[in-house]
Order: sequence, then structure tokens, then C-alpha cells
Amino acid sequence: MTVSLGKRSIAEAVGTFILVFFGAGAAAVTLMLAAGTTPATPFNVGIGALGGLGDWLAIGLAFGIAIAGSIYALGRISGCHINPAVTLGLFATGRFPGRDVIPYLVAQFVGAAAASLLFAWAVGPDAVAIGGLGATAPFPGIGYLQAIVIEAIGTFLLMLVIMGAAVDERATPGFAGLAVGLTVAGIITTTGNLSGASLNPARTFGPYLGDWLLGGQNLWGLFPIYIIGPIIGAVLAAFLYDYLSGD
Amino acid sequence: MKCCYCALEGRESEAVAICIVCGMGLCMEHVVRKDVDVWEGGYPFPSKRVKAPLPRILCPECYAALYGK
Repeated sequence: MTVSLGKRSIAEAVGTFILVFFGAGAAAVTLMLAAGTTPATPFNVGIGALGGLGDWLAIGLAFGIAIAGSIYALGRISGCHINPAVTLGLFATGRFPGRDVIPYLVAQFVGAAAASLLFAWAVGPDAVAIGGLGATAPFPGIGYLQAIVIEAIGTFLLMLVIMGAAVDERATPGFAGLAVGLTVAGIITTTGNLSGASLNPARTFGPYLGDWLLGGQNLWGLFPIYIIGPIIGAVLAAFLYDYLSGD
Repeated sequence: MKCCYCALEGRESEAVAICIVCGMGLCMEHVVRKDVDVWEGGYPFPSKRVKAPLPRILCPECYAALYGK
């Protein structure tokens, strides 16, 4: 007997809220801290102005620690996917029931939207005008298709770690949260200044909605990058892991 | 094996169970059965409580120490 779908959906919303509030919030705060500084290169749009790649490591760790905490807090209740790509990857490989997919996705998007709106309210107008609520976008020189591929590769690694460290019954118990959190931190450190390193459609949805509603940039044209890339990456990783670990 | 509690009371009775914590032999009068829920699964899946709980045999002292009753 599992916890009811309603309670599990609430847990998914809360977990995604934590992810977006602290993770995307860290990106917004970094942009606010760097406001007024002169970027060293045109590749730098603010994040990286203070500590180079260290800025991205800090943002990655904010995401990673929030994710690890959420997994340890909520993992036994809902599974703590907090990412539509992960939910769909598990569904595609027959590990997650189809009837639960839509409620999980809705909860993840609602949690992300609530986090961005509450962050904007708590921090003030600069969170939108300067921080962009931590919205993701490809960086200078990175095209649409390139960004999709980078998002797919990043999410591929994330899902591969989830499969190996959590789904596989042979995995060492208790380490999945830490492994997944640190993996996300590493992926963001490398790909943050390329595609924005969303790895998660809900993580991008929240800031996009907040920016759009509160007078910030309208970035919806970029949203397909953060839907297509992560879903392809997660589904591929799940199938590949099954193939590699099968008899 | 004899029941340790009965022996302490100067009686003699056959043990029917052993306390899982201290290993004391227990007769039907002194045995305490505590059913423990068993959960399986966990991240990235919701935990599931298996239908049948696990029976756990305890002596009155260990039961009181573990559950404060």
C-alpha cells in the first residue's frame, strides 16, 4: 500500500518548489550580485563575472544540495522525481504507472511556478528585472539545436545516475540523494554557461512564467529546448541502462 | 528450553518462543508479539507497505525498553 496519489502529488510540488526556489534562486541572486560589473568576455552575461566557473559551481551546489535534501525528505513518499523528464523516463521503461504521470507533471509545474512567483515577491522587482528569476537560456554562440543537444547530454547523465544509484536493486542503499545532487551540481558547473543547464522542463517553466507575468523577458520561444532535450536525454539513458544491465 | 520469567517466579514452564533482542526463552504467558510494518521501495519510487506485517517476538522487559510501555 502506498501513500495516496494526492499526497504524492503534493510531495512532488513541494520538492520542485524547493528545487526552483533555491536553485534558480541562486542563479538570480548571482546575477543581482554581478549587476554593474563589466564582463570579461562576451561569453559572460553576468554569472561568472565574480568567480568564473566558481559562480556556476556555487549555483550547481545550490541545486545539488536542494535536490539531495528533497530526495532524503520526500523520496519515500512520492519518489521525489521533481523533474518531468525523470517521470517520463521511468514511465517509458515501464517502471512508473501511466495513470500517475499527468498528476505528477502537473504537480511539478505548479510547484515550480509557485517557487518563482514567491521568490519574486520575497526578493523584489530586481529578482525579475536583473535576476530574471534564474531563467535558463542558451548563452552567446550556442544555437537552438546545440542547446537541445547539450540539455539532452546533461539529462542523460542525470538519468543514468538515477538508474545506477537508485533504480538498480544492486545499488548501495542510502547514497542516491547525494549522488544525484552532486551529479546535478557537476552538470550545471560545466553546461550552465552553455545551454543554461536546466535538465528539467519544470525548472525552466517556473522562471519563464514568473518573468512573463511580472513584466520580465518573454522567453517562451526557448521553452522547447528545455522540453525536448531533457526528455530525450532521460528516456535514452533509461533504455540504455536497461540494455547494459540486462542479461 | 524453559521460560526464564517463570523460572524467576519459582515455576517451571516450557518456552515457546525466544526474545529477538535478549534471547530469553518465553512461555505463552510471557511472550509479547509486536507486529512491525515492512516497507519496500523508495527513491525514485514511492515506498510501499507490504501487506503482512513482520511478527516480532519480545520479552516484556525488551518490549518496555523499546516501546516504553
